[in-house]
Amino acid sequence: MTMNTWQFLISAWTWNPGVLAAGAAALAGYVAAFRDRRRIGWLLAALGVFFFVLLSPLNALADGYLFSAHMAQHILLLLVAPALALLSLPRDFSLPKFLRPLANPCVGWASGVGAMWFWHAPALCNAAVASKPVYAVQTVSLLALGTMFWWQTLAPREAQRISPLAGVLYLFTACTACSVLGIILTFSPVTVCASYLHPTDRLGLLGLIREDWGMNLERDQQIGGLLMWVPMCLLYLSAIFAQFARWYGATPAPVQPVLKEKIS
Amino acid sequence: MNGDTITLAPGVGAGARILSDAKREHYRLAWLSTVDHKRIGILYMLTALVFFVIGGIEAIFIRIQLAVPNNTFLHPDTYNQIFTMHGTTMIFLVAMPVLFGFVNYILPLQIGARDMAFPRLNAFSFWLVPLGGILLHFSVLSGGGAPAVGWFAYAPLSETPYSSQNNVDYWALALFVLGIGSVGTAINIIATVVSLRAPGMTMRRLPLFTWINFINAFIVVAALPVLNAGLVMLLIDRRLDAHFFLPLAGNGGGSPVLWQHIFWAFGHPEVYILALPAFGMLSEIIPVFSRKPIFGYEFVAASSVAIALLSFGVWAHHMFTVGMGRTADLFFAISSMLIAIPTGVKVLNWTATMIGGRLRLQTPMLFCIAALIQFTCAGLTGISHAMPALDWQTKNSYFLVAHFHFVAVGMIVFVILAGVQYWFPKMSGRMLSERLGKWSFWLMVIGFNMTFVIQHFLGYAGMPRRVYTYPDLPGWTWMNLVSSFGAVFMTAASLVLVYNIVLSLFRGKPAGDNPWNAWTLEWATTSPPPTENFHELPPICSRRPLWDVANPDRPDEVVGAVDEPIRLPDKNKTSILVFIFSEIGFFGVLILAYLYFNARPQPGPGPQELNLFKTAIFSVCLFASSLTIWRAEVSERRSQKGAMAAWLAATVVLGGIFIGGQGMEYYDLFRSGVNVSTNLFATTFFTLTGFHGLHVCMGLIALLIMLGLTLAGDFQRHHSTALTAVGYYWHFVDAVWVAVLTVVYILPHLR
Repeated sequence: MTMNTWQFLISAWTWNPGVLAAGAAALAGYVAAFRDRRRIGWLLAALGVFFFVLLSPLNALADGYLFSAHMAQHILLLLVAPALALLSLPRDFSLPKFLRPLANPCVGWASGVGAMWFWHAPALCNAAVASKPVYAVQTVSLLALGTMFWWQTLAPREAQRISPLAGVLYLFTACTACSVLGIILTFSPVTVCASYLHPTDRLGLLGLIREDWGMNLERDQQIGGLLMWVPMCLLYLSAIFAQFARWYGATPAPVQPVLKEKIS
Repeated sequence: MNGDTITLAPGVGAGARILSDAKREHYRLAWLSTVDHKRIGILYMLTALVFFVIGGIEAIFIRIQLAVPNNTFLHPDTYNQIFTMHGTTMIFLVAMPVLFGFVNYILPLQIGARDMAFPRLNAFSFWLVPLGGILLHFSVLSGGGAPAVGWFAYAPLSETPYSSQNNVDYWALALFVLGIGSVGTAINIIATVVSLRAPGMTMRRLPLFTWINFINAFIVVAALPVLNAGLVMLLIDRRLDAHFFLPLAGNGGGSPVLWQHIFWAFGHPEVYILALPAFGMLSEIIPVFSRKPIFGYEFVAASSVAIALLSFGVWAHHMFTVGMGRTADLFFAISSMLIAIPTGVKVLNWTATMIGGRLRLQTPMLFCIAALIQFTCAGLTGISHAMPALDWQTKNSYFLVAHFHFVAVGMIVFVILAGVQYWFPKMSGRMLSERLGKWSFWLMVIGFNMTFVIQHFLGYAGMPRRVYTYPDLPGWTWMNLVSSFGAVFMTAASLVLVYNIVLSLFRGKPAGDNPWNAWTLEWATTSPPPTENFHELPPICSRRPLWDVANPDRPDEVVGAVDEPIRLPDKNKTSILVFIFSEIGFFGVLILAYLYFNARPQPGPGPQELNLFKTAIFSVCLFASSLTIWRAEVSERRSQKGAMAAWLAATVVLGGIFIGGQGMEYYDLFRSGVNVSTNLFATTFFTLTGFHGLHVCMGLIALLIMLGLTLAGDFQRHHSTALTAVGYYWHFVDAVWVAVLTVVYILPHLR
């Protein structure tokens, strides 16, 4: 049984009730908890990313077929969804007291970078592919650690964030630390995640992936590493720009007419 | 607006107290012993000038050899040597020193500081430049002539079987020394900007030259250690018979491509290390000569950071022709194109600054405008190299030579010449001659474009680069001749410039404090500035304090609050943190090399030779020493001299035990016949742990100095952050060991 790319893109959606329920619960919780719902659009965007990662064909590919698809999921869950979710919080939100120790720059940095390194240790990477519960734990942990990472720069109130220049350093070093892992994955002569070596072809996709798309094992891992290296760095870079905008924008930007000086 | 000027206490520049002032000012010592940032800046520039003459003569030899086909003016091997020396000299001994010279001179003045943060480190960094230059040129006397491996020294050509003379060793040592000096300067720049700004000079009010060089210093600190790691690996290959970069017949050989990765991981940021200071100068000179504030200060500032970040992610575009595979090519093509965006933003900012301005077309501005146009051309050809398919065709042709000379000469050298014209009055107190300046400008523009525009076409006509001669093919001959004639004009331009400088030093018009009506603080003091730089400073509320002084009725909008307090972190802690950052780069490369070569078990000895249990015991000692040094710091804060000395001594003992343990481990390995050249496992193992051990030893020396000072009662008289700084370093050495222990000793057990 083989299918072409379009058939795959149409048919490979899953309706995982757990994921849908979690998404609905998040939305309901938001509506219930906050009276000021002007920023709900950000939450909907976050949920969109969340559903896309876990229900779309991307998930089917990551489920044993392609390391690079797994990496795309990883990046979206760690860096994109939590950031959007934090942006959805009303601007007067404060953390419950028991969570405050987590809002520490060192903890935040370590959770963002650690989540990347930890889940790519060969044993853990394989476990997450082989076992559904581990996969669920991975997903939840990525979202949680990503939230802790972004809290330092995207917290709702200025007082909860680190200073902009410290934020630049925070993001710069995080970017470097993740790039190093990306470099290792890209140029590693050995397979990092052995589970992807011999996929069980449950959906009959292997022909499509290997033949039509030309994705062999080396190329798959290379793309995975490069995704972590280049596009992820661009995400950090965008965040760094946001820090600069915040820094220079701290007072109203001077609007000046063109100054012309008489040469004395 | 706060109208009070800031009066500084009458002080002296940071100077050695060993000599009396009169002795220090004696002509034989004044320049040799100086720690004054202005004199060191000028020394940097003069050194660069000397090497510029040498590198320039080499360039002329190259162009004479290539002027006509089948030329026998130079022997092929001599050509290779001159070609290597030209590249190495121009990059490491001309461009970097002259730019560091400008930064050294101008940056402390722009932020209203009295000197750099560490004047002696500054002098040390400078004197490493002549040392490196002498080492490099000493290779000529070493028997085999100068190195002939190109400034990129690609392996395996640079390895012993193919370059058996000592010259490549001298080359590597020279670059290593220069790299250390550059890192020292960069640390100094960062510490100066962070810790020595004048009251009111908040980070948001920094002049762009200062801001961009501040960012640039981070690139230096991150990129040079990568080169240094590569150089020590090359030296270990050459002197200790290892083979990091030398493929062997059969299994177990090293990887020449790894050298390229390491070299370009440094080499591409290096392009920006040279370009960013030039961007900084453009951002100062263009507004002054357009009589307008810079357009989009924030964009110029932030795009510099984008360049700094992106520059580390695009090196592999130098390696499209190596064959990294389509996937890697694709990603690097995209990231390489992206870096054009922040650079393009800057070009737009400078152009928009000129639009609607009242342009004063004096020599500095002329050089800037030419640089801007030529840099735009260089950018366009640069983008074409970001496309792998096109790059394969043009990479090894004269098209690429034209491209990077458009960047290095068309932009960087032109801007440096603009900077010379612009800041010479400040440095000497006399104006350069406008007439001679315009002569050198036009000669330079004609000569440069004659030499290099035509090389684009030569490249498209198929002339390969790095060749010592060429056959008489249609079109090649006259194009090469034109190119060589251009070099004559450029030589003339340089001679006019030198003549102009010498003449103006003696007969130039007195400059006064602010000959260009500029706005940054270096123009608020006399020309040349006194040793202590400023007697008083104007109030600093905006990015153009001197504009505000000259136009009290329409000052610039205040940036931030009027009396915004500035935070000045301690310079000792800042500098050691930056140093640690650079060391992470060094160890990062060594650890990556270890991982790369040991991902598959090597034939011969492997991690199974190591005794995890014994190492764990010694490691515990090292980790415990982090605790003892922390206790020593606590005792220092509580002024308990005895406890502090005891904790420091404990730290030294624990560190000593660790070194002893490592020595035992080495001894056991040597006895079982494993040494650094046995196989790649042994090479990477000894390199990584050896350099870590070396750092522990350095830490021990620092600790012993601290112990001596403690016993002498130094810390009791005044509290100092020195111990904290040493403590940071010591914790870092421990942290590196955590990584080494994990990678080398524990990881193999998890497989």
